This record gives sequence, C-alpha cells and structure tokens, in this order.
Amino acid sequence: MAALVRAREKRAVRRAGEAGRRVEYLAFLLAGETYAVPIAHVAEILRPLPITEVPRAAATVLGVVSVRGRLLTVVDLRRRFRLPEAPLERKSRILIADLGKGEQIGLAVDEVHQVWRLAAEEIEPANVLGGEQPAHIAGIGRPGGGEGTILILLDLRPILETP
Amino acid sequence: MVEGGGGRGDGGDKARDEFLSEAQELVDGLGRDLLHLDEALKVGRLDAELINDIFRAVHTLKGLAGLFGATRMAGLSHELEDVLDDLRLGRVELSQAVLDLLFQAVALYGRILAAEGGAGPDPEAEVEQLLVALAQFSQRRVGGGAGVVSQYDLDPGLLGVLTEYEEHRLRTNIQQGQGLYRIRVRFSLATIDSALDELKAKARPHGEIITYLPTGSGADIDTIELEILMASRASVELLRSAITGPDVGIDEVRRRAGPSARPGTPTPVPQEQPPPAHESFAPPTRVGGDLGVLSRETGSVRTPPEPAARKPTPSVLPSLPPPPASRLASPPQMSLRSVSQTVRVDIRKLDRLMTVVGELAIVKTAIANLTERVRTRAADSRELAIELLRLHRTFDRHLSQMQSGILEVRMVPLGQAFDKLARVVRQISREHGKEVNLVVTGAETEIDKLIVEELSDPLMHMIRNAIDHGTESRDERLAVGKPPVGTIALNAFQKGNHVVIEVEDDGRGMDVELLLEAAVRRGLVSRDEAEELSPREILAIVFMPGFTTKEVATDLSGRGVGLDVVKTNIAKLGGIVDVTSERGIGTKMTITLPITLAIINVLLVEVGARLYAVPLANVEEAIGLDESQVRTVETREVLTVRGASLPLCRLSRLFGIPARVRDRQRAFVVIAQVGNRRLGFVVDELVGQQDIVIKPLGRSLKSVRGFAGATELGDQRVALVLDVASLIEEVLAPTETRLLAAAEGGRN
Repeated sequence: MAALVRAREKRAVRRAGEAGRRVEYLAFLLAGETYAVPIAHVAEILRPLPITEVPRAAATVLGVVSVRGRLLTVVDLRRRFRLPEAPLERKSRILIADLGKGEQIGLAVDEVHQVWRLAAEEIEPANVLGGEQPAHIAGIGRPGGGEGTILILLDLRPILETP
Repeated sequence: MVEGGGGRGDGGDKARDEFLSEAQELVDGLGRDLLHLDEALKVGRLDAELINDIFRAVHTLKGLAGLFGATRMAGLSHELEDVLDDLRLGRVELSQAVLDLLFQAVALYGRILAAEGGAGPDPEAEVEQLLVALAQFSQRRVGGGAGVVSQYDLDPGLLGVLTEYEEHRLRTNIQQGQGLYRIRVRFSLATIDSALDELKAKARPHGEIITYLPTGSGADIDTIELEILMASRASVELLRSAITGPDVGIDEVRRRAGPSARPGTPTPVPQEQPPPAHESFAPPTRVGGDLGVLSRETGSVRTPPEPAARKPTPSVLPSLPPPPASRLASPPQMSLRSVSQTVRVDIRKLDRLMTVVGELAIVKTAIANLTERVRTRAADSRELAIELLRLHRTFDRHLSQMQSGILEVRMVPLGQAFDKLARVVRQISREHGKEVNLVVTGAETEIDKLIVEELSDPLMHMIRNAIDHGTESRDERLAVGKPPVGTIALNAFQKGNHVVIEVEDDGRGMDVELLLEAAVRRGLVSRDEAEELSPREILAIVFMPGFTTKEVATDLSGRGVGLDVVKTNIAKLGGIVDVTSERGIGTKMTITLPITLAIINVLLVEVGARLYAVPLANVEEAIGLDESQVRTVETREVLTVRGASLPLCRLSRLFGIPARVRDRQRAFVVIAQVGNRRLGFVVDELVGQQDIVIKPLGRSLKSVRGFAGATELGDQRVALVLDVASLIEEVLAPTETRLLAAAEGGRN
C-alpha cells in the first residue's frame, strides 16, 4: 500500500510541478464527486473488511472494525454528507483519519484516487460556492489552476468531533 | 506512506510520565504516613522514625520536582522540608494544626501533579497561601531542655559530633526519663551492614538507638568495633539478655554525681585529656549517623573535634577508603534509594501484552480446529494428529499461565484507594466538627488497577454523603444513646468473581417518607407511582439524577455531583451499587464489581445473524424459550420460570434488528443477574462460551448505551459485549418500577 501511494505521489508531483510550498491532499470519490483531505491526516487506508454494526449508534456510524487488535469506529461519509447511500464494494476504502490527538476514526469512501500537491494559489476558499457552507468544507482545489479537475477540500475536524 | 497512528510521544514525554507516576506514588505514601502520624498524635505516642520517613519523602519529591522543572512543587516541598525539619529536631511541637497544614500540602501535591499532567488548573493561589502558613509555623519554635544532657557521663567529643537531630533525640529521651546505655559491639567489615541491621532490630523494641560510632580501638584489619548509644527504659540486665551476640557488651552510662556542667551549655568544652574510650563514649571519627544522608540539609558543619590523642584512627581502618564516612555513611534502610522490590509499569503496557495474549488465544483456537481436521480427515496421519493435539495442549497450558500471570500483575490492593479516603474522612470530619472513625477491613482485597483508579471518586462521594447526611452531630448522637464518635465502616471482600465494597455508617439512616416527598416534589416520581414503590425502590431514588433532599447545598455534597454520578461511574466499571438503610441505625451502600476488566468469559449468542457476547459473570442460566409461558404485564413481557416471574427483553426489538424468520426454531432466554435484579434476554441462538479480551469502544460511541466494549473473535469479526448492568438498568428503569414491582410480586 505504501509503495502504491508513493508511486501515485510521484505522479502527482510530476503533474503539479515543483514550485512553491505545497500541501499534499489525498483525493477520493464519493457519489461521483471528488473530495480531498490533507494526507497528513490520513494514517492508513484499509480495504473493505467485515464491519460490526453498533445498535443505537448515530445513523452515520457504519459500525466498528478491529485493526490489528484495536477497535475503530467507521463512519459512512455518504451518510455524513447526506448523499445517497450505497453499500461498500470492492473498490471502497476506509481511510483512517487521525488528527494527531483524539480518537482515530475510519471514514468509508467509494474509491481512493491519488495524491495532489496543491499550492496556495490552487486553492479557493469555501465561500466561492456562495452562502453558508458546512463546516467540513475547507475550500475548492484546482490543480494546475485551470479547467479540469475540481477537488472538494475537507476539514476533518468537525467530522471527527461529531461523526 | 504516511506516519502510523502509534509511536507518538518522545523520550521526554516518557520521562515526564514516569516522573508523574513516581511523584504520585510518593505523595500517596506521604498521605499514609501522615495518617499514621495523626493516629500516633491522638494516642500521644510519637514515632520519631515516622517524621523522618515523611521528611525523606518530601525531600525526594523536592529533588524530583527540581529535576523536572516543576517549580510549584519544588517550592512547596522546600517550605515543607523546613517545617518537617523543625518537627524532627523538636523545634516545633507536633499539633493538629501542623498536621492540618501537612494534610493540605498532600492535597495540593495531588492537584499540582494533576496540573502537571494537564488534567486541571494550576493551584497557584492555594499553594501561595499554604506557603505563607508554613512559613509562619517555622517561626514558632520551642526551646529548652538543653542542659539535661550534661548530667550524663558522656564524652564531650561525642557530643561535639552529634547531629542536631541526634542531640534532639538524646535530650528528648533523657527528659522522658529513659536510661542511657552504651553498647560495644564488634562487626566483621564484610557483614557489617546486615549485622548492624540485625542488632538494630533486636534493640528497637526496647528503646531508641541515638547514634553509633566506631571506637577505633581493639579492631583488627577485618573488623570494626562500634559503640552504640541507646536510650531505653529497660534495665541493663534485660538489655543484655535481649541484645545478644558474640561480641556485644552493654553498660549503663552513669549519671554524674552533681549538676556539673553549667546549665544552658549543651556542648561542654572539649577537655584536654578525654577519658579512655572504654570508659565513656568516645568517638574518634564521625562515621555517619542515622541521618547521614539528610544531614546536608541541616546545614551544620560536622567536623568532629579531633584531639591529638586520637590520631591513630585512620590506621585502624586501613581497608576503608580515605574518608571512611563514605562507605558506612548511609546504612541501607536510611537510604533515599527505593527499597521496594516492585517495578512500576504503565497499565497501557500491560494492556498491550494482554492484547498479544488475546491474539495468541485466537491462534490457539485455529490450531485446535486444524488438529481436529487432521484427526478426522486423514486416517493415515493419526500419529501426526496426536502430536499436534499434544502440542496444542501444551500451548494452551502455557497460554493460560501467561494470561493469569498478566492478570495478577494488574491486580493491586484496594488499599490504594482506601488510603486516600482516610484523608478525606479526616478532612471532612475536622471541617464540620463531626467526629468520625473510619474502620477499614479488607484493604488487601485485590482488584484490577484500572478499577481502583476509577473507584476513588465514587467512594469519596459515598463517604462524603455518609458523613454529611448520615452521621449526626455529637449532641444528637448522645441524645439517642449512641457513642459520640460516629463510625464509617469501609469493608471490602471478594465474592466469587466479584469484589464487594461496602460503605456503612452508623448515622441516622434514611427517612423513606422524606425521600419520597422530595422525589415527588422534584417531579422524579409521580404521586401515583410513589404509592406503589417498595421501600427498596424508594431508597434507590437517591441514585436518580437531580435528586437531593437538602435544599441548601452544603460544602460536602448537594453540589450537583450526586449519587447518580456514583452510580454511572460504577456502572461503567461493570458494577452496580445498592443501598439499604434503617432509620436511626445507619445506611449501607454496597458496590459489586468484577475483579478484572481485562479477560472475561462470555457466552456468545446470536440475534438476527449478529453475534453478541454476554459476560458469563452475569449469566445465571440459559433456557429454551417456551412462548406459551410468556405473559404480558402492562406492556412488559414476563416469563414464569420455576414459579417465579422473570421480566423479558427481546434483544432484536431493543437493538432494532430484524428478527429471525425461521419461526419454528425455538429461541433462547439468557437469564442475567446483576446484584439481585434479574432479566431474561431473548436471543435466537446460543453459540458457545469463550474467553475474550474486552476492548473499549471509541469515544465517538460513548453515548451508545448497553455495550461494555467489543472483542475480536478471530477471522476479523468483532462481537459487541453486552453491558448487562446498564441494560438491566435501562430495561427496568426506575420510572418503570411498578412493572418491576409487579414482576417481583409474582416471584415472591
């Protein structure tokens, strides 16, 4: 897995060029849209594994899994973002989100794409979308600055605080 | 790819953690010693050694604090040291007032440590206040008693090298009318440490050893002769028979005929020609006294007067390095070095080990399965199968040894929590003028370290409650013919796989009518409900959130942190708390806890194709469900089992899981019991028993009730472990007590 991501990272580096201070984002797919989170906040990427549902937990919680002897709560990002539900499939992944302090939380996503290195000028603030945006939207990423890929950049903090 | 989750925190953090845990241990010990001192003061028998212990603990704390830049703690320790030094040297008399300050200091240490660990605010103002109070104390010194020493035929050379502390002890003993004895004993240099200890142990019951010094005479290259100055009430004959040994001689130090020395001159001027060593107590060289290590703190320069006549000293101790003091300076039991044989271990490390053992248990199960397959499939590899089976058994045996070994390490005596409570009792009873004796039994009962940690606060609340609401004032007690001093009994004992802790007071007991009235007034119970509650259920009201009988919050309780919190905290540990009370006689709260949280034996059950684990400690039995026996009492399903009513809880309904459709299959009832409440959980299937390592659910799921944690079953599957206590609580909630009453009525 690590080698795979490193390879992707290299590709991303080639695409993004070398100039300026850049932040690495991991892009993933969710109900047809591309989202991205700072890769520093992702401790690990898991393939789908049996999830034990927890009765009476919040609706966004898919359940718990055991990762090398530790229990991890898995949140369905589709449910969290009120997107149409879909079961986990072969391409689905669970990102282990880790903000350095507090609990690690698993985030179920449809598919993991690649790592982007974004410079400050490639990021637009969330308010370009107009009006009130949910707290978890940190901005819009436009790799290369032009047309083409649009990344919805996420702030994981509110998601981890209230899964 | 990216950094892993674990392995954060550098060496500095680790050292800091160790500092905190070591300091905490010292502070706990300090608290215990202070309690002993308090007792000693009450009976008027002060043990000088106890004050020394306390002094040493504070001294060590100061050093630790300095090392880790905990300035607040270092400052407090420094001031405390001064006061303790004064106590030790008799400059200040021990009183309840001083003790109060010392107890306050222990409490503040606790808060400083919490602040250092990031778990609370820095008690800056309080520390400053205490520092001022301590400083005032150091100034109130008592004097006097110096002249008495000179009545004895003691060598001035000796008096010159006594430490201030030894001088104080000598004076005190003489003032108390004890006799002085001189013990001459020869030790082999090779065994002096242990031999000296042995001698001290023999001497201790009879008096106090004030100092010991080498005589410098009659010693050959391998031996050393010491003269020991001892104070004792015993006769010389008795001492001779008690302190025996091949090279021991005991003489009484005679009183001088007349009042020779000028009064007020504690240290007579050294004479030109001192008496020979065997005649009086004549030390050639200071070899270190009881407080060799601590004497640095007193600041006194202790170069012994060294008359020319005693020059030969160094030559009689040729085997010792130049300053002979360094070798013998600190007898082992006086060292600041820890004497305990224990290793401090972070409980998280044990958790990790436990996890590994858990994984091994899964491997073991896999091997068992494999063995079974080999045995049944391949008739020609029977021998291989037998070999495998044998291996599996050996593995199993070692694994369970390891399991119980780690479990044992996690166990600590409940006394760790009880010691803190004794301080609380003392503080509260002094603050409120209610005299209370705490009687502890079963402090040696062992329980998981994690549980002990979590127990302190609930127990403290219960004791505060007992003193505040239970124990009557002195006058009230006398009026009803009770002893003026109240008693709070803290009893602990093991009962099967559980530990029971009782907090019992001999106070006024709970007034059932008053309780009920308060509960109705606060809207916790409706009038109608109130009429149908049994006395036991009424008592249980005290555990309801928001309940209090006192309209005005006192200092002690009634400030919002009520017994409901106690109940919740105990429930988190998988335990329950019950209350019984009798008016005029007293109240007893009983906590029942599992011994350990780490490995538990569970019954695996299936509900709608999902697996759940029910701790066997809570399972009474499991029976097939005969639907025809199920009755409904006010919407609650009740089963009659052997003539008694059992409330039922269908887990599929409670958890919102689609029930199994194969309705022809019989369901099962798992009868669970916590305390004396029972509930039948209806499940689809009984899967089997298993030892599991229970792991907590993350904080993100802490609002989810009914689960104690989860466990991995192998093949990556996770099963949730039911929190039977909380489920019983939830299902048979106090608001539904009428139903319980009905069920119980049917049973009784």
